[in-house]
Amino acid sequence: MRKLPRMIAAALLLALLLSVTGCGGSADGKTHLTFQIWDVNQRDGMQAMCDAYTAQHPDVVIDVQVTSWSEYWTKLEAAAESNTMPDIYWMHTDQILYYADFGILADLTDLYADEDPDYYSNHFSDVSIANASGSDGHIYGVPKDKDNVVLVYNKEMFDAAGVAYPDENWTWDDMMAASQQVYDKTGKYGYMAYNDEQLGYWNFVYQNGGYILDENNVYAGYTNPATADAIKFYVDIQKNDWCPDQTYFTETSPGTAFFSEVGCMFLEGSWNLLSEMQNYPEMVGKWDIAPLPKCPNPASGDGRGTISNGLCYSTAAKGKNLELVKDVLRFFGGEEGQRIQGESGAAIPAYLGLEDTWTTSFKSFDYLLDVDVCYDQFDYAVKYINNATRRKWKPTVADEMVKVYKGADIDSSLARMQEIADSYVTTE
Amino acid sequence: MNKTKLSAAARREENWGWIMVAPTIIGLVVLNLWPFVQTLYASFCEHLGFGHYKFIGLKNYVDMFANAEFWKATWNTIYFCILTVPVGIVLALFVAMLLNAKVKFKGGFRTIFFLPLVCAPAAVAMVWRWIFNGEYGILNQMLGQKIQWITDPKTAVIAVAIVSVWSSVGYDAVLLLAGLQNIPKTLYEANSIDGAGKVRQFFTITLPMVSPTMFSVLIMRLMASMKVYDLIYMMCDETNPALVDMQSLMYLFYRSSFISGSRGYGSAIVIWTVSLILLVTLVQFWGQKKWVTYDI
Repeated sequence: MRKLPRMIAAALLLALLLSVTGCGGSADGKTHLTFQIWDVNQRDGMQAMCDAYTAQHPDVVIDVQVTSWSEYWTKLEAAAESNTMPDIYWMHTDQILYYADFGILADLTDLYADEDPDYYSNHFSDVSIANASGSDGHIYGVPKDKDNVVLVYNKEMFDAAGVAYPDENWTWDDMMAASQQVYDKTGKYGYMAYNDEQLGYWNFVYQNGGYILDENNVYAGYTNPATADAIKFYVDIQKNDWCPDQTYFTETSPGTAFFSEVGCMFLEGSWNLLSEMQNYPEMVGKWDIAPLPKCPNPASGDGRGTISNGLCYSTAAKGKNLELVKDVLRFFGGEEGQRIQGESGAAIPAYLGLEDTWTTSFKSFDYLLDVDVCYDQFDYAVKYINNATRRKWKPTVADEMVKVYKGADIDSSLARMQEIADSYVTTE
Repeated sequence: MNKTKLSAAARREENWGWIMVAPTIIGLVVLNLWPFVQTLYASFCEHLGFGHYKFIGLKNYVDMFANAEFWKATWNTIYFCILTVPVGIVLALFVAMLLNAKVKFKGGFRTIFFLPLVCAPAAVAMVWRWIFNGEYGILNQMLGQKIQWITDPKTAVIAVAIVSVWSSVGYDAVLLLAGLQNIPKTLYEANSIDGAGKVRQFFTITLPMVSPTMFSVLIMRLMASMKVYDLIYMMCDETNPALVDMQSLMYLFYRSSFISGSRGYGSAIVIWTVSLILLVTLVQFWGQKKWVTYDI
């Protein structure tokens, strides 16, 4: 009888050991790959793309996993440290340089070398390639999609106020005048300008001919007169009666305000449009999109500009299934994979010439959004702002912007932002 | 005691003792002690990326003590403790005494008070965010005011403190209730024969008898308040103008370590916080001799 507890203990120990080691093999003899993404709205599109691949390669199974954006990077970094990264994962421009420059990501420059040595430049825009490159100029991700920022407006409120809808000739002045008009006639807010970079002041800076980072991505341009003027213009929008202030936007995002019909305009990323059509069915037909208004008197350039970012698919340099994963990536970046992604509505394909496949999913609604605006804007799109040190100065610069919105002197804040960003130039 | 004199049976018993405590000890070392040592080391390092550290001596601490934001966060943390701990404990004792009295639906009330603890902190914070919402929040609707609870630097900490007390009072009350129920009824009977009133009974019997439990609750509540993070994280966005006025040390640590990626600096903040908690706890253990009654 005395042996019984020991046998139970031994059995438990064995079970534990088996569970620890047991995850390596797979019972069905297939190779299982994991594919990590952060946007639940794109899960179906990604799954469809994987299904198309596995239909051609029955010995491969790809498991699409979604982790929320806020946890994604903490998890991915921890996985990189312990060399347990997912086989394929989305990479964002904010992070790619950190991962690529540290040697975590597999170099994919020669992914299509056999097929076409100039594959990337033949099928992807310069902005897309730049968003997928490391500091050394090598490509560390297969371009997945591209986006830009558009003006979303409420048609009913424009009609009620008797203002013509925004078009490609609209300037900042038109936007301000329309906002005033809508506010006076309907009591609704006009253009809702809030403290945001990509969906806010960055666009205004580039429209005005300013810059956040110079063309070599080294020095910041916060104190550049064109940059400073644009940021001042943007911040001061909240001084109008027709724009809520930052305390309001802390609790109510412009999108929430727009779709609860309290405001008539805000800047939105193209990647959110489809889910907004789906999530606010009662609003379908009441709103549409337009190109970003131009700067009427830019310091340089033609006054147009919209920030364009793009994601890419990456894999670990030390990945266990690297050769197989490369084959999957080749498919994801190929015409078929990109077409499936576009038609699923997940995002605008990075692949040149396939942009309008994205229109497919918008056709299922009673009202067809003017999504051509998104495609046309790529002609003058500005690459998402990034360099290797930005992840370190981004939070501190953002804190300064918060102080500006709290009423701090804008010129000294901009000088401080310049100082913070430039302090990383020499030390890195 | 001489070890060689242990009988075989005693030795076997000793071995079994070790085996029995092993899971806890191993867990403690692997999950608590070792990470603490690593954190201590990291606080003297610069994080280069992906778990690679470079030793830089005291630079993190020098930077930290020179940083106004850090001192503000330290004060915010202390202020948060001052706001939540006394109020929380007094309320919890009050609730515990109500639940200990002969009231109808006692079980129902106990459940209601305990309920916040069962809810996920994230969910609690989201619900309260809507209650506090300056434009559409139910609180402002009831008050007929337009107070920007979460975004006004003056009220932001108070708003978080209210949620914190609300969600912890039930748990503390249950602990105190257990303490109250351990007080022998005979004490009250003897006391009332002697002619003491309810108020006098509370101060001469209830309070001293429940003081050991209160001491445990106080220690736990202070530690929890000094480590407050999740509520602030959920209720306060990066663009909140009141961020600087409400961020606690743990929130500052999170922002340094996981948003800016400066894990060395973040570790220094953690070590500072641990030191503060240690100090406060030591003071409490010293102070308890003056007010905690362990025997009648």
